[in-house]
Amino acid sequence: MTRGLSLVALLCLVSLLSLTLGEVRMPLADLWQGLTTGEGPGAMTLRVLRGPRLATALGTGAVLGLSGAVFQSLLRNPLAAPDVMGFTAGSGLAVVAALVLGLVLPMPLIAAAGGIAAALVVAVVSWRPGARDNSLTLILVGLGTGFTATGLATFLGLTLGDTMAAEARRWIAGSLAARTWSHAGQVWGIGLILALALALQVRALGLLELGPDLASGLGLRVARARNMLLATAVLLAAAGVAVAGPVPFVALMAGPLGIGLTMARRPGTRLLYAAGAGAAITAGADLLARAAVPGVQLPVGVMTGLLGAPYLLWLLSREFGKGEA
Amino acid sequence: MGAVLRLWPVALLMLAAVALTLGVGVRDLSAGAIWRALTAWDPTDPAQVVLVEIRLPRLATGLVAGAALGLAGCVMQALTRNPLADPGLLGVNAGAAFAVVTGALIIGGSGAGLTAILAFPGAALAAAAVFLLGGGLRGEPGPVRLTLAGVAVSALLYSIVNALVLIRGDALEVFRFWVAGTLAQGLQKPLAEMGLVVLAGWLLTLWLAPLLELLALGRDLARGLGTNPLRVQGGALLAVTLLSGAGVAIAGPIAFLGLIVPPVTRRLAGGDLRRELMVAPFVGASILLLADGAGRLILAPAEVRVGVMTAILGGPVFVWIARSLRPGEAR
Repeated sequence: MTRGLSLVALLCLVSLLSLTLGEVRMPLADLWQGLTTGEGPGAMTLRVLRGPRLATALGTGAVLGLSGAVFQSLLRNPLAAPDVMGFTAGSGLAVVAALVLGLVLPMPLIAAAGGIAAALVVAVVSWRPGARDNSLTLILVGLGTGFTATGLATFLGLTLGDTMAAEARRWIAGSLAARTWSHAGQVWGIGLILALALALQVRALGLLELGPDLASGLGLRVARARNMLLATAVLLAAAGVAVAGPVPFVALMAGPLGIGLTMARRPGTRLLYAAGAGAAITAGADLLARAAVPGVQLPVGVMTGLLGAPYLLWLLSREFGKGEA
Repeated sequence: MGAVLRLWPVALLMLAAVALTLGVGVRDLSAGAIWRALTAWDPTDPAQVVLVEIRLPRLATGLVAGAALGLAGCVMQALTRNPLADPGLLGVNAGAAFAVVTGALIIGGSGAGLTAILAFPGAALAAAAVFLLGGGLRGEPGPVRLTLAGVAVSALLYSIVNALVLIRGDALEVFRFWVAGTLAQGLQKPLAEMGLVVLAGWLLTLWLAPLLELLALGRDLARGLGTNPLRVQGGALLAVTLLSGAGVAIAGPIAFLGLIVPPVTRRLAGGDLRRELMVAPFVGASILLLADGAGRLILAPAEVRVGVMTAILGGPVFVWIARSLRPGEAR
């Protein structure tokens, strides 16, 4: 448990830096004054500017991290993540399509529908009779589905006018610009409900990691448990996409980072730390994206790409060294 | 006489592509107008000016870039024995675009002329990096590792290109070219020079074809028959660099074309690599021009960049190929 403290410390550090750094430096004293008295520039920063953005970043990162950890555990492959496998791109495509068609539905519903549709497409297309372990086919088919969804979303984004085009770009590349408390409340609310649903399935996840034969021998209805877990993970990723777009590489990195920092072994604690690591990565990447270059606000998706791509390369070279994958 | 090279489908494709490129656009041109422009040039006729100053450069750009990227895809697939290889997917195009954008920022050029040459070292570095990271030297790179290594290198380089473009917001329109490919504005590009480079790359691939086929039988067997595997691999990487670099220099990073062309040429040429490489430039050029024509028609009068069209077309092709890999092949 003491190792978990390093993750908590990282989260606190990233949060404090996110609130203080930016176009205008906000000293801790001003923030404290704003928090206690509700007045001054610190209060404005907390209530309107950086507070809601940070809360949305933490929530988005947490749900993406949880989702990635479930996929990686179920498919027993560190490359399996909703962003690599195109589910977040499917959610983004659904949101852009809804913008084009002028549908007035809650964002999370649209994103969830897109994510589930992408997951079904991947599952149906990569299904092969008699094949038992097809996680690599799943990953490749998912990658191609993601390419298709991103291409279609880019195309649909072009049919929108100039004012909407910037909004469409959020759902293609991922951005945390102009997020409010309602976005933060949305991702935290839906995220907590889904995290609760996941907590109820932690035992099943632990059994499934032992392999399908042993799990069914221990009394688990394997197919049903697997599908429930996969559905929960897809919905978690969609909850993140609904507020910040398909931010790439967070879900891929969060699980291994959380486990690497804390050495957690039990499935429940591993999920918890994956959520914490996802939150820290997203908030940290957003901080870098908006404060690293003075006068320029990069989308968070560009920064997670800069951080995540080297990680993916390192992962591939390490897997190769072990002679696996 | 083993396989027969079927040429008439290629000729039909080419004809349709050329007709679509020259005839259709914001202003539709009749066959008569095109004929008159060729036989009785009249600079006061707006239709003829459109043809000569906009459509013909566009056609030339599409021919050169399509030939280059289609050939590059065929060579990469033969080299890596991976049906998912493509200069766009494996990060070679991203390397070229990255080098040109960084060079233009440092030197301060407009992205034409001198900085376009930077596409070649960029493509070479990215190709070598992906090939090595994907495990190319030590054995056969599996599709999953190679493709994901390419995805990672592309994601990294495009993130930097995106960041640079956003930081230097003043030159957005120029730099957007280096993020998604287009065939427009062909007059300002070093078309003739890049055409020669593509021709050289084509000849190199035709010469390498039997050696690559030999290498596909296994490194030991190839060595036993007097072929140096490293030299063949190096030659193939050089060809990919020349072809992708030239294609990106004139049309921007267009992905997926190199993925779509090889399955078509394989059916046309019946499994002989040299014959495949003979038709690949024509297949690549016609598919690229047809995609470009579709992009100009679909939201007319607005124009969809050809890079977006090839992505919509290529994504499902990727899924289809990935699905058809045998479980043992998907490593």
